[in-house]
Amino acid sequence: MARMKFVCDAERCIECNGCVTACKNEHEVPWGVNRRRVVTLNDGVAGEKSISVACMHCSDAPCMAVCPVNCFYRTDEGVVLHDKDICIGCGYCSYACPFGAPQFPSTGTFGVRGKMDKCTFCAGGPEANGSEEEFEKYGRNRLAEGKLPICAEMCSTKALLGGDGDVIADIFRQRVVQRGKGAEVWGWGTAYGSKQAGQPPQGAKS
Amino acid sequence: MLLTKKSPSILRDVATGRPTTEASSRFVQSLSRGLSNALPTMDRRLFLRRSGLGIGVGLAATQLSLVKKAQAATPGEVTSTRNIQVKRTVCTHCSVGCAVDAVVENGIWVRQNPVFDSPINLGAHCAKGAALREHGHGEHRLRYPMKLINGKYERISWETALSEISSRMLDLRKASGPDSVYIVGSSKHNNEQSYLLRKWASFWGSNNCDHQARICHSTTVAGVANTWGYGAMTNSFNDMQNSKCALYIGSNAAEAHPVSMLHMLHSKETGCKMIVVDPRFTRTAAKADEYIRLRSGSDIPFLFGMLYHIFKNGWEDKKYINDRVYGMDKIKAEVLAKWTPDKVEEACGVPEARVYMAAEMMAKNRPSTVVWCMGQTQHTTGNAIVRASCILQLALGNIGVSGGGTNIFRGHDNVQGATDVGPNPDSLPGYYGLAEGSWKHFSKAWGVDFEWLKGRYASPAMMSKPGITVSRWIDGVLEKNEFIDQDSNLRGVFFWGHSPNSQTRGLEMKRAMDKLDLLVVVDPYPSATASMAAMPGKPEDLNPNRAVYLLPAATQFETSGSVTASNRSLQWREKVIEPLWESRTDHMIMYQLAEKLGFAKELVKNVKMQKVKGMDEPVPEDILREINKSCWSIGYTGQSPERLKAHMRSMHLFDVKTLRSKGGKDKLSGYDTTGDYFGLPWPCYGTPELKHPGTPNLYDTSRHVMDGGGNFRANFGVEKDGVNLLAEDGSHSKGADITTGYPEFDHLLMKKLGWWNELTDSEKALADGKNWKTDNSGGIQRVVMQNHGCYPFGNAKARAVVWNFPDAIPQHREPLYGNRPDMIAKYPTHEDKKTFWRLPTLYKSLQDKNVADKVHEKFPFVMTSGRLVEYEGGGEETRSNPWLAELQQEMFIEINPKSAAEKGIRNGDRAWVSTPTGARLNVQAMVTERVGPDTVFMPFHFSGHWQGADMLAYYPKGAAPLVRGEAINTGTTYGYDAVTMMQETKTSVCNFEKA
Amino acid sequence: QAPAAPSTPAAPLATTIGGIQSQSIYQVRPDASQEPGYANQTNAERHKVQPGNNAPIWRQEGGGITGLSSLPVSQAPEAGNLIQRFVQYPGSRLTNAGSAWREVRNQWLIPYGSALLGITVLALAIFFFSRGTIMTHGKDTGRKIERFTPFERAAHWSNAIAFLALALSGIFMAFGKFFLLPILGGAVFGWITWLLKTMHNFAGPVFAVSLVIVFVTFVRDNIPEKADLNWLLKGGGMFGGEEPASQRFNAGEKIVFWSGVTFLGLVVISSGFVLDKILPFLVYERATMQIANMIHLIATVLMMCMFTAHIYLGTIGMQGAYKGMRSGYVDETWAKEHHATWFDDVKAGRIPAQRSKLPSEKTAAVPLKSSPQA
Ligand SMILES: Nc1nc2c(c(=O)[nH]1)N[C@H]1C(S)=C(S)[C@@H](COP(=O)(O)OP(=O)(O)OC[C@H]3O[C@@H](n4cnc5c(=O)[nH]c(N)nc54)[C@H](O)[C@@H]3O)O[C@H]1N2
Ligand SMILES: Nc1nc2c(c(=O)[nH]1)N[C@H]1C(S)=C(S)[C@@H](COP(=O)(O)OP(=O)(O)OC[C@H]3O[C@@H](n4cnc5c(=O)[nH]c(N)nc54)[C@H](O)[C@@H]3O)O[C@H]1N2
Ligand code: HEM
Ligand code: HEM
Ligand code: SF4
Ligand code: SF4
Ligand code: SF4
Ligand code: SF4
Ligand code: SF4
Ligand SMILES: [Mo]
Repeated sequence: MARMKFVCDAERCIECNGCVTACKNEHEVPWGVNRRRVVTLNDGVAGEKSISVACMHCSDAPCMAVCPVNCFYRTDEGVVLHDKDICIGCGYCSYACPFGAPQFPSTGTFGVRGKMDKCTFCAGGPEANGSEEEFEKYGRNRLAEGKLPICAEMCSTKALLGGDGDVIADIFRQRVVQRGKGAEVWGWGTAYGSKQAGQPPQGAKS
Repeated sequence: MLLTKKSPSILRDVATGRPTTEASSRFVQSLSRGLSNALPTMDRRLFLRRSGLGIGVGLAATQLSLVKKAQAATPGEVTSTRNIQVKRTVCTHCSVGCAVDAVVENGIWVRQNPVFDSPINLGAHCAKGAALREHGHGEHRLRYPMKLINGKYERISWETALSEISSRMLDLRKASGPDSVYIVGSSKHNNEQSYLLRKWASFWGSNNCDHQARICHSTTVAGVANTWGYGAMTNSFNDMQNSKCALYIGSNAAEAHPVSMLHMLHSKETGCKMIVVDPRFTRTAAKADEYIRLRSGSDIPFLFGMLYHIFKNGWEDKKYINDRVYGMDKIKAEVLAKWTPDKVEEACGVPEARVYMAAEMMAKNRPSTVVWCMGQTQHTTGNAIVRASCILQLALGNIGVSGGGTNIFRGHDNVQGATDVGPNPDSLPGYYGLAEGSWKHFSKAWGVDFEWLKGRYASPAMMSKPGITVSRWIDGVLEKNEFIDQDSNLRGVFFWGHSPNSQTRGLEMKRAMDKLDLLVVVDPYPSATASMAAMPGKPEDLNPNRAVYLLPAATQFETSGSVTASNRSLQWREKVIEPLWESRTDHMIMYQLAEKLGFAKELVKNVKMQKVKGMDEPVPEDILREINKSCWSIGYTGQSPERLKAHMRSMHLFDVKTLRSKGGKDKLSGYDTTGDYFGLPWPCYGTPELKHPGTPNLYDTSRHVMDGGGNFRANFGVEKDGVNLLAEDGSHSKGADITTGYPEFDHLLMKKLGWWNELTDSEKALADGKNWKTDNSGGIQRVVMQNHGCYPFGNAKARAVVWNFPDAIPQHREPLYGNRPDMIAKYPTHEDKKTFWRLPTLYKSLQDKNVADKVHEKFPFVMTSGRLVEYEGGGEETRSNPWLAELQQEMFIEINPKSAAEKGIRNGDRAWVSTPTGARLNVQAMVTERVGPDTVFMPFHFSGHWQGADMLAYYPKGAAPLVRGEAINTGTTYGYDAVTMMQETKTSVCNFEKA
Repeated sequence: QAPAAPSTPAAPLATTIGGIQSQSIYQVRPDASQEPGYANQTNAERHKVQPGNNAPIWRQEGGGITGLSSLPVSQAPEAGNLIQRFVQYPGSRLTNAGSAWREVRNQWLIPYGSALLGITVLALAIFFFSRGTIMTHGKDTGRKIERFTPFERAAHWSNAIAFLALALSGIFMAFGKFFLLPILGGAVFGWITWLLKTMHNFAGPVFAVSLVIVFVTFVRDNIPEKADLNWLLKGGGMFGGEEPASQRFNAGEKIVFWSGVTFLGLVVISSGFVLDKILPFLVYERATMQIANMIHLIATVLMMCMFTAHIYLGTIGMQGAYKGMRSGYVDETWAKEHHATWFDDVKAGRIPAQRSKLPSEKTAAVPLKSSPQA
């Protein structure tokens, strides 16, 4: 079974925010909730790199592990989703998530946040695929429509790849070979220190 | 408790038995074509197959069933209750021309799908394009006509608005003549609307009309056209995939033309080198192999510095220069004498090694291309800078070569088209000058009597005199009457799809607005102009009789029509939704006003009417046909609505790298696209029946003219001072019968060559006495091209020396407001001009005064401006879009850490920016190395704050954008290009302090 | 130095593709990794020698990976943070803060916290079943002493109720999913927990206020004295023998007062306030929240343990205590047996037997009437 993953090619991402507004548009995400955002490193100096980040649909997801009500679930494609009917808006997932993916519609006093919202890999939620309830709560279910995430599909430079981890790894490898250099794919492994990041994040100095 | 609810079995369950709607099956078709293999990226189909989802599985068949309105989706309902359509349109936010599929359900734009088939964008979008659907909501738009009454905007009816406006116009006409009204047109209009607006202005009787191109690429158009024929991007974004080196000088494509980077970055991966030359380390620079920081406004020293090394090392293409370029010897002499590395470094701040590196990279990796945009054009010397870039490319033999060219990235979505056929003060559609011959040509095309038309103007002299430019309309109001070159000052102004905060000298604009008798804003988002007009100014400036009207215009998604992308390709937009609220399309408004003004019949002589919301509206297709029948000069003749629509439907047939159709017919119309280039990039000569394929790369002699090949234009005579201006023998487009240079074709030359009889009798009747541009039969073009492989406009040399310009050889001149008096002494500006586009224009006297007043001491920082990816133009449209507005909420100024530290400013602090005009802007400080210590940068997309005060109270109710901020142009200074009146927005001065 | 390898061998690889030379080969210096300071290069410096090698960015483990986002800091303070910084919380690995917090919470606090709570309850249960309720030995005299004024009782009970609410909801949040979720099912459990959690957010501040009142009301009588040492040495008489004489509150109560009510209370309240995001001067970044949560969880678990014992003693653990707190009056016998010194003081008149003003002076009998018959 395919394992859905995102990879953002920092050599291509130009911080155009296309992915961000594509997501807003497709899912009618309200102001203040950013399922996807673009982070620019070394802004304004040589070596500047931008990376678009959303939920990475982690294999051993911290959000899932800390949720007091276990409202997360993982689909067969490896997409980490959650059930807003169960979510209590405690915010723990956002503390745990290395990427700051979980978002909350309000930042009210007394810690009242509303139900958590995050990138669904455009796969909706627990409601019936394509139902109105699903759309209202989670946005569209593109995977069920046989489509890939809109953010990746609309990415202006095809920096953002989303889909089966093996396939995107292939695509990426091809680019790297063509570039002839070991450009680091920025993805899931970076946060957890796996070799996926090109090189391990700790200890080794290269 | 781990749920796995979304198992494929569920998907299959839902899928079985679900009927496929017609619309959706069409989309599935487009799904089946993945992204081009040329781009190593994901192919959705392959992807899905490999990922185990499979195409057509799951809800694929119903992906158009809009989840939003779906009841708990039961099969059957999908088709029975819903009216779902997919409309193909084109993004309205920049000239890249990204295609969009709008999904419309019961008249509501509910979803936006990427068009993977588009060879231009392959489904990709930047933030603006990906947020387009918001236009279908338009919550912050003007909903009905309004009038300013006692400082507040009040709702009025369309009928009242149109009658009051027209009667005021007629009063002004009677009192002060037609030239007292100024029309600021728009590059946001489609081709048909822009064309109609030029016609409208002519029938009103004035050349006082203009649009954004003036303050955008006017210097490019003039400079480049005068160099080799057409003032447009020579190649295409796609063609940059063939480049081996690209020099971006004065373009920040990553923010301004984001999707162009799709092609560039791919090109880079296959070995293309990329150099960025810019005063700022831009997002584009971040992607480059080399970045070179230069002093703002010093592009000529840099470019000539490169040429110095090219000539020194003999890297120039000598044969090419000999065959196809006039005047390179003079350039060479000038460059070697004047632009030695020390002088170059002194003038632009770039050390010799860096200049050498750039020159070597460009020379040794040919074909190499140059990309420029506003960094070159928006200067008092813009015309000369762009020519310097042309000269560099001519020296390297890069023009007319795939992978080479001057890839001039245009601005607005249809600035190219509006320039080609729209409201220009100095030309008629198709760049026909204002001479009597042109007027006669168009009288015929418009089906009106030339004498009647002449009678509409104040005088024949005014008919042939270029009008005032949009950059200077304020001086048309404020200048003393005796100094302006028309009878009356401007008294009425139309802002017809143009923002006020995009023109410089905002403080004076406020005064000019107050002095007017009539201000009409026709715009879906008119509020920037509206608030500025309603804001109290100086009481002594206010004209007590002033009337201000706001008319809600429809957007380009609420009408149909063609739009010309930067690469000269035309694309047809389908109407997505009906005009929202009470808004009306621009051409409907033009027609309705013409009715009141008494020239409606003439305006639409060749145009049928259609009913929109129960009212008459001119049919866009018919207007395009009129363009097809008149604009021979630039080959806007082959792009019939039918051909364009066929292209839009058959995008998948076109190759991403060459833009050429791989062959195949459009299913609906049966039109065979074989051989066509996508969007029939102009020139697409001859009648549509000739089936010229369009010209992907201009002046490409390696192809036959009927394959889109060509050569430089013969537009400047056949010789100059005894030197041959035509191409040398043997230099011609592939397969041409004439293998030497030749002049442009007219009936006489045709006869002389014995080709006349190849015209049909009916063609002869129309072509006699005419030339290739005025022959309405298209016969001359047909015979010359089809039968003889020649180019209608002749075969000449490009001009490295443009003797009819103020600086025949591009000269570096310092801006009027600069922080380097030492350099001003060495490179002073032009002499003042007494009447220039009807107005006196200052250069030297102002520059000298500034030096004498020591302006550089009070304002020691170079102030430059430009774009952010999220916003467009004056920004009222995009700042009203919540998906975009959220991403940029503060107007800011980029300051180098060193200068910030000197001023005690930290990142995120508020700062007061002051400029020599006396303006003070309150903005947020962004401390960054992006700019050098002597330069600051501000985006120009903000408005709604005025020198520290929020203008919210002056907005029409409900029509204020979500984000407001200080407009930089409130503080920008005087300064205009010496050929086109382009405003200087890239190099001015300012000072700042902590607020 | 070893990991530098991936960027260099790429060169020969790429040249084989159609002979296209890509930019990096054009300029990459394969030996750049041998240069001094290579390991400490910034991304900008690295780009000069090895364009495209972004290793320095990905290696900012100490500071996390933080860059720039155009979202305003006021609305999204951490939008510019790509990956939370790497930390090692006590008990976690060195990893990104989110994962570290997860490790601490899930691997230590939740299991050991619940264990501790369980053990406490178990110990009390064992104690109860082996020893039963501590009974009053003598017979009730019927003479009542006002032990807690209505105000004191109000303070105590509002505090106690808030505590119970908080504890209950806290337990749902922290441990519920392990024992309640499987029983109740996701929807019901989620709904209840949402309700409780929302209540927790609001009950917290109520608790905080009442705790302050409780502190102020009871602090005077909780000042430790010499005698307390004796009480402690004798184990409060818990393990046989007479209960040593104590003042109004015995040493055990004082310990609860100081360590439980005061210290843990403060810790719980302040960490709770952070979690509630009501301290105006703080920027509520995730790191802040993680630390606050860990502190809160530790302190609340300890507090719950402590007050489980307190509640035990205040209810089934000791005869008469509860009634004293409910009605305010204790019988002289009870007072004599459990708080001998205090009883002496009352008898001696140093402390009035009736401290609160009676609702109406006309019936001094009211307290007597309402006093429970033990
Ligand atoms: N997001 C977005 N995209 C747009 C638009 C928009 O408003 N928003 N507008 C469209 C329009 S109308 C246009 S015209 C284009 C403009 O597109 P661009 O011209 O690419 O954009 P700008 O930011 O105006 O300017 C480009 C660069 O010129 C640099 N520059 C300033 N002075 C000089 C100089 O003297 N020499 C050189 N070499 N460079 C200099 C600036 O630092 C800036 O980085 O963008 C189009 N696309
Ligand atoms: N300081 C500084 N100033 C600059 C520049 C700079 O770089 N620096 N750049 C200059 C350049 S290159 C340009 S092109 C200009 C751009 O500046 P403008 O073109 O003035 O800016 P926009 O806000 O895009 O204006 C377009 C207007 O058209 C309206 N509009 C959109 N669609 C339609 C339609 O279908 N019909 C009608 N009637 N109206 C419509 C929009 O609502 C908007 O109000 O700014 C120039 N000004
Ligand atoms: C003394 C009684 C209290 C107890 C026993 C208690 C217990 C708990 C527990 C067990 C948790 C769950 C921690 C986790 O699952 O990691 C929690 C969370 C929390 N507590 Fe308390 N707490 C108490 C008091 C307070 C107070 C006084 C406040 C506020 C002033 C407060 C505010 C919070 C907040 C905001 C949370 C985070 C949960 C959320 O926001 O939904 N608590 N508490
Ligand atoms: C259901 C829960 C509770 C019950 C049944 C209960 C019961 C009692 C009883 C019976 C007493 C009287 C003991 C005596 O007479 O010496 C008492 C005293 C006291 N209780 Fe509670 N209590 C509860 C919760 C709490 C809580 C949550 C707190 C504070 C966090 C608290 C703080 C105190 C204090 C301060 C005293 C006075 C003794 C002292 O200061 O040492 N109680 N409680
Ligand atoms: S990225 Fe964050 S929210 Fe997404 S699965 Fe991983 S931990 Fe959970
Ligand atoms: S906010 Fe919702 S999803 Fe996140 S941990 Fe809390 S209950 Fe779970
Ligand atoms: S995958 Fe879908 S939900 Fe997630 S960021 Fe992309 S568009 Fe948004
Ligand atoms: S759309 Fe693509 S290039 Fe643009 S910011 Fe997102 S990931 Fe980067
Ligand atoms: S703004 Fe330009 S680049 Fe962006 S989507 Fe629109 S046309 Fe494409
Ligand atoms: Mo422009």
